[in-house]
Amino acid sequence: MANPGKLIYSGFTLSVHGVLEDNEIDSIREFIDEHKRSIYDAGKLVLDFSDSPGIESVAAAVLYGSCKRFICAGVKVRRNGASAVIEKLFETLAKFDSMPDPQKKRLSIRDYFENIGENVYELGKTLYALGHFFGETIYAFTGMLLHPLKVRWAMVFYYMEESGYKAIPIIAVLTWLLGVVLGYQAGFQMREFGAETFMPAMIGYMVTWEIGPMLTAVLVAGRSGSAYAAEIGTMQVREEVDALRVMGFDVFSYLVTPKMIALLCVMPFLVLLANFAGVFGGLLAGSLFLNLPASTFISQLGKALIPLDVLWGMLKSLIYAVIIANTGSFMGMRVRGGASAVGKATTAAVVLSIFMVIIADALLSLVFVHIRPGLSM
Amino acid sequence: MEPVIKVEKLQGGWDEFLVLDDINLEVRKGEVLAIVGKSGCGKSTLMHYFLGLLKPWKGRILFKDSDIWSSPEALQKARRRWGVTFQSGALLGNLTLLENVMLPLKEYTDLSERDLRIVAFSKLDTVGLADFANSKPLEVSGGMQKRAGLARAMALDPEILFFDEPSAGLDPVTSANLDELIETINSSLGTTIVIVTHELTSIFAISDRVIMLDADVHGIIVSGTAAELRDSSSDERVRAFFGRNLAAKKRSNRKCR
Repeated sequence: MANPGKLIYSGFTLSVHGVLEDNEIDSIREFIDEHKRSIYDAGKLVLDFSDSPGIESVAAAVLYGSCKRFICAGVKVRRNGASAVIEKLFETLAKFDSMPDPQKKRLSIRDYFENIGENVYELGKTLYALGHFFGETIYAFTGMLLHPLKVRWAMVFYYMEESGYKAIPIIAVLTWLLGVVLGYQAGFQMREFGAETFMPAMIGYMVTWEIGPMLTAVLVAGRSGSAYAAEIGTMQVREEVDALRVMGFDVFSYLVTPKMIALLCVMPFLVLLANFAGVFGGLLAGSLFLNLPASTFISQLGKALIPLDVLWGMLKSLIYAVIIANTGSFMGMRVRGGASAVGKATTAAVVLSIFMVIIADALLSLVFVHIRPGLSM
Repeated sequence: MEPVIKVEKLQGGWDEFLVLDDINLEVRKGEVLAIVGKSGCGKSTLMHYFLGLLKPWKGRILFKDSDIWSSPEALQKARRRWGVTFQSGALLGNLTLLENVMLPLKEYTDLSERDLRIVAFSKLDTVGLADFANSKPLEVSGGMQKRAGLARAMALDPEILFFDEPSAGLDPVTSANLDELIETINSSLGTTIVIVTHELTSIFAISDRVIMLDADVHGIIVSGTAAELRDSSSDERVRAFFGRNLAAKKRSNRKCR
């Protein structure tokens, strides 16, 4: 290593000898502090670099900062004999100094509305692209119905296991627990009016119409929708999707439809399971806390429910399956860039699927009101 | 020599960002064409257009005189005759190397499972990876992944092989081996080769023709053999790329001392 740089002050001149290094900043500060009185008194300062081949960047920044203080106090500072490299460095520092601080830029009301508009426009564009994507998958799907042998059944079974079989415990436990809580809370309210015998009917309706299908959809979106987005997103980052494309594979039938077929196969049964678990939770709440024996619960339930109730929930789940598989895959396909984009896609997939599942649920309940006997007003 | 790929007045880019404008280019049968240029000049983008991964804003890309975008079947047909190796190898992570090489064979041929395996294995052997046939891509080194990618690209004995920066991230020895492999494929099978690279050694070792792209003009600034570009180009950007400027400066610096 070369000799550390040195500062010498004489007359109006601060001469730099050698290369000032970054670890010398303390001594640079001290040196300037020592001489600042005389520099202020002199009213001018010449930085002489004629004996210095270069300067390290932190040292330069410290020197620049001190000079700036002098300039602000009215001292005339100029550089002398600086090599092109040093001159460039000081110019860069001055340029940075004159740039506006990005943090300080305040958002005006106009910017605020502009942002909202931009986001809405982006959302619209995303939904449009998603619609397009749905179309493509459904096209690929119908193609597969015509040629069932072309489906990658191995992958379908793999996803059925991953998204269906492995989801059984969590779905069963959560719907059961919700059934207990709802049964207990509703039953207590109803007992006020001596109507706790209607609790089984209420639980039956709630679970089969809404809680069963909806909770299943939310859990599957969280478990599998995100996994699909991450899987395809990672493949996108690693150029695997492009590779499949240039090898002439239809990426929809290769990557998306197996997931969709798998979810279509398992979702109705997951819903059925959720229904059983939820109703069983209600039964337990009734017999434990409300003096409602299991036999009464079951007979009341049998009077209230018709097969359509359960069937409707299972039918709805088919639509949710399409939404979840497609949204997850769509978000994965949109990944551009690196690992962080995969994370964002995963989050977006879950949020958007749940959002769309709820919208679909609301729309479907409008239909249900008309087809379910005893519900229309 | 007859052109296999013809690019006519191509214009395109990513989203709304213009990268390439008014590109006219021919890839001739049996040649090794190197596409070079500084980072961000549109080499990879041009490759995406060659491969039909992006649709041109304007202009046409012809494979054997038929526009690849004229119908989905045309694109599919062209792809059937191409092989591509990507920067990262782009092997499917959940399959073994052998299964990766089998993938295109399975899609396009009626071979039995056993024959598929044999063909795929022999392709892996050509790139020297027979011993790793049953490894997963992440279990082998980056250079091996690229070679496996090459084996997969060669599976269907393509007419054109595309390489996207084959030597990026490889040491000089591995990279030289890969060059040798490319050279062998070209000379023994007559495969046309299009290669995107900035490796000067590869350019001189294997290319018959070089085209250079530049970001400012959104297009091709020069084309010729590697030696021509190095020795007789007066264009500042070409000289800079081939290191003439820096080399000259260093020499004159040395003389001063």
